[in-house]
Amino acid sequence: MAIGTLDRAASQNRWRHRALKEKALIGFGFLLLALILPPWPGAVLVTLAVLGFTFLGARVPLRLWLATAALPLGFLMSGALMLLVTVGPTGVAFAPEGAVQAAGLVVRAMAASFCLMFVAMTTPTADLFGGLRRLKVPLELVELALLTYRFVFLITDEAAAMTAAQRARLGHSSRRRWLRSTAMVIANLLPRALARARRMEVGLAARGWQGEMRVLTRQVPVCNRMLALVVLTLVVVGLAGLML
Amino acid sequence: MHIMEGYLPAAHALGWTIAAAPFVVAGTARIRAIIRERPEARLTLAASGAFAFVLSALKIPSVTGSCSHPTGTGLGAIVFGPSVMAVLGLIVLLFQALLLAHGGITTLGANTFSMAIVGPWVAFGIWKLAGKLGMPFAVAVFLAASLGDLATYVFTSLQLAFAYPDPVSGFFGAALKFGGIFAITQVPLSIAEGLLTVVVMEALSGKIRDEDRVSTLAGEGK
Repeated sequence: MAIGTLDRAASQNRWRHRALKEKALIGFGFLLLALILPPWPGAVLVTLAVLGFTFLGARVPLRLWLATAALPLGFLMSGALMLLVTVGPTGVAFAPEGAVQAAGLVVRAMAASFCLMFVAMTTPTADLFGGLRRLKVPLELVELALLTYRFVFLITDEAAAMTAAQRARLGHSSRRRWLRSTAMVIANLLPRALARARRMEVGLAARGWQGEMRVLTRQVPVCNRMLALVVLTLVVVGLAGLML
Repeated sequence: MHIMEGYLPAAHALGWTIAAAPFVVAGTARIRAIIRERPEARLTLAASGAFAFVLSALKIPSVTGSCSHPTGTGLGAIVFGPSVMAVLGLIVLLFQALLLAHGGITTLGANTFSMAIVGPWVAFGIWKLAGKLGMPFAVAVFLAASLGDLATYVFTSLQLAFAYPDPVSGFFGAALKFGGIFAITQVPLSIAEGLLTVVVMEALSGKIRDEDRVSTLAGEGK
């Protein structure tokens, strides 16, 4: 997946202009529940609730969602397989109790990943970092992260252009060449990135920059009905996960 | 190699976050000092962070067949120094979670510890040691980058084994299991990354005019 894909999807999402608090409460609230509740039935209920918000509420495109889910699920499968076997003095054997543990792990990790994907697909990263500023995270870190975010897409385009030019000139025709070509891209990219930063420094200094990147953000009032719905779902899922 | 969201139990996620915190705080303090002295270094740091992120999305051929992504751990540790790398690494991991759904928020502490702290410090230590032993530049870079990668992968296997010990052979059996399965992809990758970093460093050393800037970031400049 290209670097900008999820961020672009988030910017075009139906819930793009919902208040950050609501979306963060859904994503991180259920993430917390997925982690602390017993996997059965807690994580299953979390999955259902988050998928409900993802598809019925935010209407995330299914195709994009599946493409994004593929990578973590691949990691999960190989990691869960490890719990099914046990290594002992006699060699590798099937672990009977491992199956239960593996199933619990798969369910929990899937629930948690879907929560993260909900946040990633409904909230552009810049909005999230803006929210961190209000949470008293050290300002230097937030500013650095926001500036980094701005550079990411510029540098990505530059790297993509260089790679395309190399491919067109048989730069990836053999493994050795491919490695060498990638190394050349990286070696050209760093000085260019630093030069770009330097040009920006000069430009900003000329405009009296004080070291803080203030941008206008659209202030969206929190919708109380939505908030109530989210809190209610969280409480219901939390209680059901504990009691059932 | 990132631990995915939700893979670690809550206690482990919290524990690794606490373990990674002092390094991130120290890195932040260092960045704060750099920025106070030279406010414009902010943009250089941001560009470096973005560079590290884009680097991890490039494809390189892996020895066994499929292609893989470089981590930039060794390169970052050599060019920027390990204390700054803890913060840049954290930001890169955060972006990977939010922009690519790769890694996670609850596993951010554990991933930061293995990829942004253990890897860079090992790479940096080997780089310095190799310099003291008078090894040739290319050999030092290769060892630093590939062993830094290997250290990250071994440490991640240990983290997973710690969370999910084997029912029979316990922690060590589990470490062998996780280490064994990930070795298939990670060992060739670290060799490829070592070779890559050598070519990058050799090309870079002829390119960067403003070397003070890089050494200031690494905390070595005046």
